[in-house]
Amino acid sequence: MKTTSFVRSLPAFALAGAAALVLALPAPAAAPPAASTLDNLQAAYDGESNASAKYAAFAKKADEEGYGQVASLFRAAARAEQIHAANHAAVIKKLGGVPKNDVKAPEVKTTKENLQAAIAGESYERDKMYPEFLAKAKKDTNRDAIETFNFAKAAEAEHAKLYSESLAKLDSLKGTKAVTYYVCTVCGFTTTKLDFQKCPVCFNPKDKYTKVG
Amino acid sequence: MIELPPAPSWDGLHPLIVHFPVALLLVAPVLVLLALVVRGHRRGLLLAALALMVLGTAASWVAVSTGEAAGKLADRSPEVNAVLEHHEELAETTRLVFTVLTAVFAALVLAPVVLKREPGEVATIGVAVLFLAVYGAGTLVLANTAHNGGRLVHELGVRALMPPAPLPAAEAEKD
Repeated sequence: MKTTSFVRSLPAFALAGAAALVLALPAPAAAPPAASTLDNLQAAYDGESNASAKYAAFAKKADEEGYGQVASLFRAAARAEQIHAANHAAVIKKLGGVPKNDVKAPEVKTTKENLQAAIAGESYERDKMYPEFLAKAKKDTNRDAIETFNFAKAAEAEHAKLYSESLAKLDSLKGTKAVTYYVCTVCGFTTTKLDFQKCPVCFNPKDKYTKVG
Repeated sequence: MIELPPAPSWDGLHPLIVHFPVALLLVAPVLVLLALVVRGHRRGLLLAALALMVLGTAASWVAVSTGEAAGKLADRSPEVNAVLEHHEELAETTRLVFTVLTAVFAALVLAPVVLKREPGEVATIGVAVLFLAVYGAGTLVLANTAHNGGRLVHELGVRALMPPAPLPAAEAEKD
């Protein structure tokens, strides 16, 4: 009789055991919370600050190796990244945050490798980082964030193009001297000639451009 | 229930305002032509044409300003950049051309009133035809501006940022 009752209770024991096992198991890792626009601004601010330091170091190396024209391009891009960082910082402050960056010592290699690294960095920002940040900022209808991300994305696309052109003809750039690049002090757009009346990205008059050589 | 739509921001006003210069500035010369035909109502038709030109030109100033604000928020690509730059240049030219044309037309319409002297029929028709010829060239710039704006929206998918609004009840129920 007792045995029969025990056998009948087995399913209940099994269920209780299974429930205890489920409760004892660690809960599956929760998906990380989606980054907020403020988080994205901080990430972009950090990225731009590091990029500016990196390009300044790359410019020095290019000068040492006799690539004056490439050094000018790196200096212009470094200035543009500073402008992006400042724009991002202004929006961070507007949202009540404090801009934070961690500028690391850049890894400097040969100018050819530096150009390749710069192209990879700019392409990532143009194709992945800023499009994602923009999508989030649009979802939040944060106009200031959209504007600063847009300005940076447009300039990074141009940097990638200019770096790629330099890399393609790097051998012919050996022994060149510094040349003038123009950088928009509002949006950081970088160009070799001011053949327009208004900046094509931020529509400010071309007198907002500064010379970098 | 009829509700007020959310108020657009300055950049969000662009898709609304751009239709005003297109419509008003294209209808104005029709009234000038009518004024030449319907002599009995010439003064009134010319004044109506002037009113349309003034409103259309004022709208073109607002359209350029809101367009610059909207352009800063637009998704960019090399194709968008090229069309946007062209659209922006044409819009500025349109604004300048119609500001000058409206000022000239105002002078032509109001001068007889101020001077209290009506020009002869031949002079009136001659000046009006000459004005309409120049105005026609201006409408080509206007049409090109509108066409490039249309390309940005319908071909390249550039959208203005609209203010968030609650879904209509029927739509919300579907979700």
